[in-house]
Amino acid sequence: MRRGALVQMCMRWLLRACAVIPCAAVLFLLGFLTVKGAPQLGSHLLFGDVPPLDALLGRRPVWDGLWPACAGTLYLVGLTMALALFPGVGCGLYLAEFAPARQAGRIRLAMDVLAGTPSIVMGLFGFTLILFLRHSVWPGANTSLLLSACCLALLVLPVIVTTTCEALEAVPDSLRLTGAALGFTRRQLARRVLLPAAGPGIWGGVLLATGRAAEDTAVIMLTGVVANAGLPGGLADKFEALPFSIYYTAAQYQNTDELLRGFGAALVLLLLSSALLFCARRMEKRFRQRWQGVA
Amino acid sequence: MKRGILAALLLLCGMGTALAAAPAAPLDAFKGQKGVIDIAGGTAHIPVMKEAARQIMEANPAVRITVAGGGSGVGVQKVGEGIVQIGNTGRALKPAEVEKYGLVSFPFAIDGVAVAVNPGNRVEGLTKAQIKDIFSGKIANWKEVGGADAPISLYVREDGSGTRETFEERALDKGASAAAANVVNSNGAMKTAISQDPNAVGYVGIGHLDKSIKGVSVDGMAPSQENAASGQYTVTRLLYMNTKGEPQGITRGFVDYIFTPAGQEIVSKAGYIPYVKK
Amino acid sequence: MSKNRATSALQGGSAAALPPAGLQTADHTDSPGLALRLSVWVAVLAVVLLFAMVVMAALPAIRLPGPGGPLDWVWQPTQGRFGILPMCVGSLALAAVALLLGWPLAVGLSCWLLTEESPALQPLVRFTESLVRFMTTVPTVVYGFAAVFLLTPFARALLGGTGMCLAAAGVMLVLLILPTMTLILMAGLRPRFERLCPWGLAMGFSRFDLVRLFVLPRSGRNLASAAVLGFGRAVGDTLIPLMLAGNATHVPGGLAESMRSLTAHMALVTANEVGGAAYNSLFVAGLVLLAVNTAASLALRRLVSRKNETTATSQHEASA
Repeated sequence: MRRGALVQMCMRWLLRACAVIPCAAVLFLLGFLTVKGAPQLGSHLLFGDVPPLDALLGRRPVWDGLWPACAGTLYLVGLTMALALFPGVGCGLYLAEFAPARQAGRIRLAMDVLAGTPSIVMGLFGFTLILFLRHSVWPGANTSLLLSACCLALLVLPVIVTTTCEALEAVPDSLRLTGAALGFTRRQLARRVLLPAAGPGIWGGVLLATGRAAEDTAVIMLTGVVANAGLPGGLADKFEALPFSIYYTAAQYQNTDELLRGFGAALVLLLLSSALLFCARRMEKRFRQRWQGVA
Repeated sequence: MKRGILAALLLLCGMGTALAAAPAAPLDAFKGQKGVIDIAGGTAHIPVMKEAARQIMEANPAVRITVAGGGSGVGVQKVGEGIVQIGNTGRALKPAEVEKYGLVSFPFAIDGVAVAVNPGNRVEGLTKAQIKDIFSGKIANWKEVGGADAPISLYVREDGSGTRETFEERALDKGASAAAANVVNSNGAMKTAISQDPNAVGYVGIGHLDKSIKGVSVDGMAPSQENAASGQYTVTRLLYMNTKGEPQGITRGFVDYIFTPAGQEIVSKAGYIPYVKK
Repeated sequence: MSKNRATSALQGGSAAALPPAGLQTADHTDSPGLALRLSVWVAVLAVVLLFAMVVMAALPAIRLPGPGGPLDWVWQPTQGRFGILPMCVGSLALAAVALLLGWPLAVGLSCWLLTEESPALQPLVRFTESLVRFMTTVPTVVYGFAAVFLLTPFARALLGGTGMCLAAAGVMLVLLILPTMTLILMAGLRPRFERLCPWGLAMGFSRFDLVRLFVLPRSGRNLASAAVLGFGRAVGDTLIPLMLAGNATHVPGGLAESMRSLTAHMALVTANEVGGAAYNSLFVAGLVLLAVNTAASLALRRLVSRKNETTATSQHEASA
């Protein structure tokens, strides 16, 4: 075989190896998780020995199940999105439609830098904030659900802003031109034409942000999550969360029950993240198809 | 309200054996109460706290008890700053801490700190000098102390740990641990780490010893709770609950619950020896 | 349905989208309005507050190198030494290992996805692309959890020691940063490659030759931005070093040694606060991380914006 062809063949197989090794590793890891976690899925995983209805209505506390952690994650993500949605979409809309170029550049810079900060620094920010408040104006301040939600909202803000901005920019200019020709003001145009048109794109971004908020551990570790707290009691209370329970189980499980529950929890979190991403991509595809071919 | 609870408790104690047969009786103190008790601190206490919280919350779901770990240092700080109602420590409070925060201590159990190895390790006993050398990094292979030819994997606890402080003071004679040691965060994590690593050595509360890890004898003293109580095993400490000032309301109820027969049974089941202050 | 509403509003000038005539509403102006301005202020002020708090908390804590301050090589709180330099070295070492292993793999993977010619493997190519996209959604804690039970015994058997070491954390970090780097590379290499394909293949080049000779050499900026992004993610991740690297407080001497990263140090110190002086190390560590990641973000912006300029000019020249 000629030398050139030999080299080509070696490179080809090298590239195949580059692809196979990481993919096989990931499939192996996730397969292991699924095999160990799938048998656990069921109401015993969530509620332990307590009948599901009692647990859901809060009549009896659940001790050997994931339900407090799941409820905590649900509350946390709901509160986070409530805090982040309006500033995020508003900022994205402003960036896309109203901002003069220099201001837009500065806002984009802020969002880029925010997107790059590690999540633990976000958690440190929350922790520092509480320390500062305790020593100055509010001695009763404490790490809690509200603080975690605020920090998580800050973490997912750049995702919402960037996707809203991109979605609005992907809406064809013809809509804007026609609207201006018809006499819409910019605000009317933005509110009644562009936002609904960019709807699925924005929803995709919101779903991505929700997934990010549901899986993040570093922020909540520093701002109020604990290993055992029962159902979340209120905004100023400590709470449990699914990702933290997984970390805690990996570090200090005491018996096989807890370990298997950890596997189940990991699988539940994985399925949750995948489902959210899948929905986000479907929305994004629908959005692109809608405006495909429109100039 | 406080007098009502005290009266109820006195009544219950006075009633004696008849009511002691019904396990829910000490929980009557919590009837009709509601509120939150946040507990944090020593990780050795967690099994006891969790079980007590479980029994109280099942009897009265309006009471919410959260249990966190963090180590003894965290317990002192959080209860001192008022972040939690009960701060657990695995060591006695230092005079500076008592003075700064005004804390009141309630020792409720005797625990020892045992040197633990993997059950597959054939080493059964170590001298104090050997332990000091192992933990400072001087002895690096198991064959130097009678085990297999394998490097020693060292595990230590994190910085605020009462278990660590007790161990360093009593077993290492105030020596320091090697910087190359793996750091784990709690008694439970130490147990998990040692049970998974065949060459591991670390220290853990005697209450946490079970089939998955093995305690070795120190200078001939076997690690067991009876030896710890009788003084034959010297690396011991008391487990303390601490509150800022005298506890009030349901916090008082919780502290008292630990000292009732039901509470003491929880302590024994967790592997500790109940301690009653004379 | 909203599409119909929008288009019908534009077509017939129907009253569906416009407010009823004669009713003054708030959006009858061109200015953005209070609500939008407020949301922008909230977003920007939050960022400013983040930086301000971290810097303000850290500055009083930075002292000259030596015992007692954070710029020290020993971490022993009981003896009053609060140095975080071993943790800085640990973070850098971890990021370096992850990047040295991960970046070539990412380049190789993207090249393979572009250049695989065998028809039997085409379904595999599509599957791998979806898998890479899926990998970006796996939570880091799930990676860490699975690795504790699969990778640690393997590392213990292979490298000796406890199994929780620099190598284990590095390998898992590679799996974490690989998908993001691959997607960035694909987004940059694919347009160029597809432009060249018809002519190049007609002239007899293989797909691999096209990538090797024409696409890769001119994609320096894209390759660099993938590397910077991977580095930023590797430095900023918390859970994988916390669960897999052993958390020893010394400078790691080799791949099989236990080490602690800055992020894991922050998580551990907050969980086990021992007092004010240890907190200082926490704030300084936070500042270091923030500085490193901000520098990476800014570098990335520069790389991406210059790349956009060059592609814009080359398109302009091509059309002229």
